[in-house]
Amino acid sequence: MLNRLKAFLPLIAIFALASCNASGDNPGTEYAPQMYHSIPYEPLTQIKEKDRGEWLSNREDGLGEFYNSNPNNAYEQNVKLPVAGTVRRTADGVLPYRLGKDDIEAASLVENPLPETPEILAEGKRLYELYCDHCHGTTGQADGLVSPVFQGVPPYTAPALRNLSEGHIFHVITYGIRRMGAHGSQISPEKRWKIVKYVKQLQQK
Amino acid sequence: MLSKKLLVRFATACLFVCCFVFSGQQAFAQRDKIPTDEAIIKKGEGLFKEYICNSCHAVDKKVVGPALAGIYDRREVDWILSFVKSPGKMINDGDPQAVALFKEYNQVMPNQDLSDEQILSIMAYVLHTEENPPVEAAPIATATGAEGAAQSGGVPSEYLNVIMVTLIVVLVLLLVVLVIIINFVSRYLKDKKQLSAEDEEIVNEKFSVSAFLRSPTVIGIVTFLVVTLAAKNVIDGLYTVGVQQGYAPTQPIAFSHEIHAGTYEIDCQYCHTGVEIAKSANIPSVNICMNCHSSIKTDSPEIQKLYAAQESGKPIEWVRVHNLPDLAYFNHSQHVTVGEIECQTCHGEIQEMAVVEQFAPLTMGWCIDCHRNTDVNTQGNGYYDKLVEMHNATSKTPMKVADIGGLECAKCHY
Repeated sequence: MLNRLKAFLPLIAIFALASCNASGDNPGTEYAPQMYHSIPYEPLTQIKEKDRGEWLSNREDGLGEFYNSNPNNAYEQNVKLPVAGTVRRTADGVLPYRLGKDDIEAASLVENPLPETPEILAEGKRLYELYCDHCHGTTGQADGLVSPVFQGVPPYTAPALRNLSEGHIFHVITYGIRRMGAHGSQISPEKRWKIVKYVKQLQQK
Repeated sequence: MLSKKLLVRFATACLFVCCFVFSGQQAFAQRDKIPTDEAIIKKGEGLFKEYICNSCHAVDKKVVGPALAGIYDRREVDWILSFVKSPGKMINDGDPQAVALFKEYNQVMPNQDLSDEQILSIMAYVLHTEENPPVEAAPIATATGAEGAAQSGGVPSEYLNVIMVTLIVVLVLLLVVLVIIINFVSRYLKDKKQLSAEDEEIVNEKFSVSAFLRSPTVIGIVTFLVVTLAAKNVIDGLYTVGVQQGYAPTQPIAFSHEIHAGTYEIDCQYCHTGVEIAKSANIPSVNICMNCHSSIKTDSPEIQKLYAAQESGKPIEWVRVHNLPDLAYFNHSQHVTVGEIECQTCHGEIQEMAVVEQFAPLTMGWCIDCHRNTDVNTQGNGYYDKLVEMHNATSKTPMKVADIGGLECAKCHY
């Protein structure tokens, strides 16, 4: 009888190990989990269950080893926005853009701090193709793949748009206009000015 | 089919004319005010495109703004002239029709710097297009296109299945025929009297399944196979402990990379904005989703979750797929900006994944392997000039990541 059971041992081992594999919603077995989970707050990782990892916890607050959330933030998030009123200093000295969404007339007088060099135009093209061409098209003719679904995207060369100032275009990227959404949170001011240079080039075509 | 279509079109045209003749004085007079001169229509068509009316309006259907067909029946010409020039002002002044439009479409058309004559020519173009709609050949074209695609796609899988089934049936029939032949031949031989003892033994031989299974050779082979397979599985299984390759968790919103990055070819960086400048690639916040979904698929229950999140300010709790252990350090910007490595190298064909799964094992062996085999991207990067010079002095192979410290423990573990 015992001998027969012994024959099944490898089979049991195989089944036990098969459950270690990750698939679907199961992340699989962790080896040395204390080394896997971050003790400091991690911005893109969050474990809100207070008892996760209680079985190996030696924390002083009695919570589970893997609990990693900041109870002082809204929704216990680990990320926070910069403190209001503070200014981030950039290496190239580009100051934060202070105009509000409705100051578009003042914005159109703002000048592009960057010179028009081939390098900046090339970088502007690269960034344009990352952030703009899905709607506005690679040539600015509103023929991007998303454009027919989104609808209402104007071509850059339209007479009403052709002569817009660089400051105006920068403001529109930052805050959006009419149907277009604000892209200020995705693209840094310096990158926006580079894109503006390239957009002006597309409009001259 | 075509004649039916024509008939319907003819009937609607008749109806149209009837309405035209018998309808009220106002509608008739309005249409009358619109020029029908060929040159003016041409000019109107040009202006319709030049002033990008066509990005928000179509004659026969609602796009962003209302369909323009029949505008001369719905509104006074004077109203149209002043609305096109300054719609915002009319809404602010409380014009009931303008306010109703604003309520329905929830956006204001920009002011158009057009003269009365130009606006009339655009209306002439609209009227002309309404009365002579462009012939629709599109449905037929797409139908033939679909057929063509089906034909060009090689042998369809149904045919392959049919071929497989027929092959199996033929083989089974062959087996049956062979068994019948054996039976027939052995029966014939048994009936024969003058057989040698040796032959008789062969003819009367009986095949015993249990004896075959108990033979040491079979037991030996089976044991060997079982032990080898078990050992292989145990070793493979042990290697997967702590490796999350294949992990594909269900997300709170059924977001599909296949649609966004595949069909619409939206660049990864549009949403994962940190990838060039930071350690993490970042998960986009709701405002980035809303750049498009303010007006795309607004009725979908999945998209409604975005609106709910935006309204309440409660972040969407996406499930993290790639859980690199805290003991190892990885920086995206280093690999993407300096190394110029494609996202797909580590994340797989993400543009084909409806549900994202972890493609790479993210084991140390996998990291090291790449560091040993990858040439450092030194082109146009002055930082590497001296290193390349020194490397080339002692070696003939291109400089790998491993040559500049890519295998040092403290590069990733500290």
